[in-house]
Amino acid sequence: MADEGAPPFLSVLYAQAASAFGTSVVLLFLFVAVFGPLFAPYSPTQQIASEARQPPSPQHWFGADRLGRDVFSRVVYGARDIISLAGLGSLLAVIAGTLFGLISGYRGGLFDELLFRLFDAFLSLPSLLLALLLLGTLGPSRNSVLIVIVFVYTPIVARVVRSVVLGVRHKGFIEAAQMRGEAGWYILFREILPSVLPALAVEAALRFSYAIFLVSSLGFLGVGVQPPNPDWGLMVSEGRNTISLTPWALYFPVGAISLLVIGVNLMADGVRRALQGEA
Amino acid sequence: MSAHQRLRSLTLMAVVLIALLAGCGAPAASPTTAPAAQRQGALRIAFEIPAKLDPAFASADSEIAILNAIYDYLIDVNTESKIVPRLAAQWTTSADGLTYTFTLASGAAFHDGSPVTAQDVVWTFDRLRDPQLKLPTSSLYENIAGITATGDKVVTFKLKQTNPFFLYDLSDNHALVLKAGTTDAATKFNGSGPFRVVSYSPENRMELAANDKYFIAGKPGLASLTFIFFKDQTASVNALRGGQVDLVMRMPSALFKTLQSEQGLTTVSIPTNGFDEVRLRADRKPGNDPRVVKAFKLATDRKAIFQTVSLGLGAAGRDSPIGPLFKAFYSEETPLPARDPKAAKDLLAQAGYPNGLKLDLHVPDSGDRPDLAVVLKEQWKDAGIDANVVVEPESVYYGNNGWLEVDLGITGWGSRPIPQFYLDVMLVTGAKWNEAHWSDAELDKLAKTAGTTLDEAERAKAYKDIQRILIERGPIIIPYFFAQFGAVKNTFTGFNLNAFAGRTDLAAIRVK
Repeated sequence: MADEGAPPFLSVLYAQAASAFGTSVVLLFLFVAVFGPLFAPYSPTQQIASEARQPPSPQHWFGADRLGRDVFSRVVYGARDIISLAGLGSLLAVIAGTLFGLISGYRGGLFDELLFRLFDAFLSLPSLLLALLLLGTLGPSRNSVLIVIVFVYTPIVARVVRSVVLGVRHKGFIEAAQMRGEAGWYILFREILPSVLPALAVEAALRFSYAIFLVSSLGFLGVGVQPPNPDWGLMVSEGRNTISLTPWALYFPVGAISLLVIGVNLMADGVRRALQGEA
Repeated sequence: MSAHQRLRSLTLMAVVLIALLAGCGAPAASPTTAPAAQRQGALRIAFEIPAKLDPAFASADSEIAILNAIYDYLIDVNTESKIVPRLAAQWTTSADGLTYTFTLASGAAFHDGSPVTAQDVVWTFDRLRDPQLKLPTSSLYENIAGITATGDKVVTFKLKQTNPFFLYDLSDNHALVLKAGTTDAATKFNGSGPFRVVSYSPENRMELAANDKYFIAGKPGLASLTFIFFKDQTASVNALRGGQVDLVMRMPSALFKTLQSEQGLTTVSIPTNGFDEVRLRADRKPGNDPRVVKAFKLATDRKAIFQTVSLGLGAAGRDSPIGPLFKAFYSEETPLPARDPKAAKDLLAQAGYPNGLKLDLHVPDSGDRPDLAVVLKEQWKDAGIDANVVVEPESVYYGNNGWLEVDLGITGWGSRPIPQFYLDVMLVTGAKWNEAHWSDAELDKLAKTAGTTLDEAERAKAYKDIQRILIERGPIIIPYFFAQFGAVKNTFTGFNLNAFAGRTDLAAIRVK
């Protein structure tokens, strides 16, 4: 990826309307996540009882929820929470999955057989179900959600990486490196890894979007991040009880989830095109 | 997965999510048609999943609602908190207040055909006061010296000392009359009540049909009754809006407000004696220091909670279970100290917590309790109390008696017709549901006086003093008395919501 060069990569992303839109949305949310606290007018948990249930106004851009909390500030802080949680979770899953996939695919044999039958067993369960099972044992907290993301997505990434590795393992340049007497790690990381990167980049972006969905789903079901954290899924779950009183407390977090997930997905398509050079 | 497929599956997920949000459900299955002429119609009620269906152990609204349909109380309490006949057609009290004699209604019979006799009543109450069963409510009957069948249909209770609330104790939620010798009450359901069980599928639904031989004329009004169980109250309310059920009771204030604007429903809201209690364990650190207790009380703004959490429905609380509906017993004599987070902080520092306190706040996921927890967290923050809110399903919160163990918790207490119940089971030293593990000699003495004296003025005085003690030093905060809510499809009539939802008389409901 590094030798693709940043400017052409970005320009490819912006060459198509869809991926340009997606990339812009993701960049916007990243900006909000990083700099949000600078422009969020209130703390996400501050309750102003006298302003409870106020509709959107210049004071409260997205209105105030049933307890008098500023919905805009909650959505902004929520972006920070969800992007860091989903981002870190999917990053760790990608790293772990890449390691498993590389080593297992390259070594093959019984180790590969055992590990991937185990992964297959995990993959046969719907990821939300697996997540609920895990959270049931770990108890709901931010760290548990992080562990769940890594646990659920590592096998998926590993499977993608392994399939690419299996495709290149017997190619000439690998055999050449082996004949040169290169060390195993060198072959794995310098010879094989570069061929995996395009698929990995797309997979990473996808995992990120699904992780956002997973974090908000868990929050929505009440087993993920606990109140009063401004978790988008949690806000949706709380907001649906008060839909007739404070619809804005529901629509804005719903909109944020949808927009970010769609944005990441459109960007992922762009990344795939950019790396395959089919702009 | 191609980009197209992926977008399609994402769209699908989004649609499902939106559908969930909109609360739209599949159209209702058509209700079964009524066979009998006078009893007609089927009512489907949404309730939380019942856990304990042996009457002796039941306590939750859903459990009591089911059992109240299958069994009968010896005597009942109506919506005005008055004692009314049920199995007992009449009763007399001796002049010294120590002997109560009940005469059972003729015609009352269990669903298996055998008549309800005095022997069944004796057996039932002997079981409820059997120390071997270790019932949390057995203290209600400790005062009974003996129960005897003095005739086929006549039962006599002899008391050790006077108890002005004895009739209410006999009508406690779990005091349903079973057939003598019943061994499998939790599964067989051989009651004498207005409905008999047709089928029960745990955690799913229970189908009941009218007891055609019910001894109370004109009841039940329906041909059949179905309890459909839901994990949470939002799901119940959505089922009502989607037409899968006809009646929902118990829900958060905000959800009720939502239903009020819905077409085709009759919504009912009544004030109750039920309350949410925030309590701190007083038998170990940090709650065993009175300064810490005081700090929690000073850090709390009850008025703000009543406005934002209860939306002004119900009544504001004063840290005591004796609410404004107990007119003569309720008192506002002792002022409630104004909120003062600074003073609370100082008290914590004096108690050895100069950097504040960090505690888990356990809360069940029903009613307005999660909102209450979030508001408390914010209010307490100013006093240096860092409460980590842990929301748990009701079954987890109450399961394995976890609620009695935790240091800091919020417990919902259902409405009762008399205040003495709360004192006896949750506040006096050693009471099984004394969740704060509190012991206060003065309160114990006053509770005893209030519960035994036949002098109304003396009792009112004792209750007044108890309210003062609770405001001054009780390790509990009662920020509000909640309203009870119910919503029923407007094709039904006779729905008379009880303050304790589970005690609502379902046999009185009929089709318009």
